[in-house]
Amino acid sequence: MAPKSTAAAKQPTTSTPSALHETSPAAAGNAVQSLLKAYNETTSPRLKLIDAFLVFLMIAGVLQFVYCVLVTNFPFNAFLAGFGSCVGQFVLTASLRSQVNPANRNEFKDVSPERAFADFALGSVVLHFFVYNFLG
Amino acid sequence: MKLSLLVLSSLLAARETLAGQLSLQQARFSVLGGDVSPLRQEPISLSPANEPDPVRLGPSDTLKLAFTVVTKEQDSDAEPKGVQPHQTFVRFFDKQSGEEGIVPVRVAQSGKAKFELSMARPPSSLPPTPLQGNETAPLTVSLLMGSFDHSPYSLQLFDLYLPPSQPAPEHPDEKTFHPQPEIQHTFRPEQKLPSKFVSGLAALVVVGGPWVVLLGLLSQVPLSTPHLLSPSILPFTVSLTALEALLFYYWADLKLGQVLAYGAAVGLVTVISGKTALEKRGEWRLQGKK
Repeated sequence: MAPKSTAAAKQPTTSTPSALHETSPAAAGNAVQSLLKAYNETTSPRLKLIDAFLVFLMIAGVLQFVYCVLVTNFPFNAFLAGFGSCVGQFVLTASLRSQVNPANRNEFKDVSPERAFADFALGSVVLHFFVYNFLG
Repeated sequence: MKLSLLVLSSLLAARETLAGQLSLQQARFSVLGGDVSPLRQEPISLSPANEPDPVRLGPSDTLKLAFTVVTKEQDSDAEPKGVQPHQTFVRFFDKQSGEEGIVPVRVAQSGKAKFELSMARPPSSLPPTPLQGNETAPLTVSLLMGSFDHSPYSLQLFDLYLPPSQPAPEHPDEKTFHPQPEIQHTFRPEQKLPSKFVSGLAALVVVGGPWVVLLGLLSQVPLSTPHLLSPSILPFTVSLTALEALLFYYWADLKLGQVLAYGAAVGLVTVISGKTALEKRGEWRLQGKK
């Protein structure tokens, strides 16, 4: 009996890591799936629109950076303008998203969504002015 | 040189008014070799006609002058007595270059004076003696004396050949006063654009990729723009688009001043239309209208 019990006691200890290894991708997959599901169900379409724009900006910035590293940074001012516009627009859009998000209503009591959009529009126009200046 | 001439002429002018006259006694010169062996020794005659042969000094030789300054009262047969003039100089003058050097001589109260010119350590006031052909130019050596109580006295002693002087040491900044070697600028090689194919492909990926993703994501989002064409919203959208178009046109063609002027005008319209549009939007939001 004693050997059996030790074996039984041993088995979980030896199998725990392998079980973790086996279950972790599935668990992670589950987590991602539930996250996506919750996102799809609870996020308003307008925030999804902003999120899509954020993803667009991020991909554009990453691709430009990869091109700069792998191929060439010449002309450098054009790279700066393109990459800077992506980063700047991302920042402006992210702040717009955080201000118009109903979940953040308590954080931005004084800022109406209209005011946030006006700030976003003004900031974007100024940013684009500077970006076109850099573009050369 | 000018100064010495001035001093001399003023002394000569004062000559008439002064009593007595300076003179020399037992004047002689000698040339000693480097080992202090006398090479030449001659008395100095006071009359200019008896000027001795030119004196030549080697690089280690020493010239010695010895004399006694005396004064002799006019119209008197009294024995001349030693006197100490107020100023006594030996003057070295280069006739060719016009350079001169004046070395003071110390005279004792009894009138006895000794002067030494050691070529091993020449005084810095000696005029330069550059080599001309095989020889240096001779210096005319004379003795000048001045006194408050006596007429001035000058005596040409002899011509002196000195060993050639060292060239003047070069000043540290000397080379900056000459033409400098031409500056050759080197530039980094011109940066090259990647080939048309590579840059075209990259442009396609960088520009197209994000748009594909954006459109794909937007197709998943149920979007409706019911108020886009409403009269309160449309001016704002149009003027924002006009601002962006103006900025694009600025990149393509316009100057900064132009874009600032046009931008101010369009911006004013945008501010007004935006205020009305967003106010309307706020009302709708408060009414619970989507």
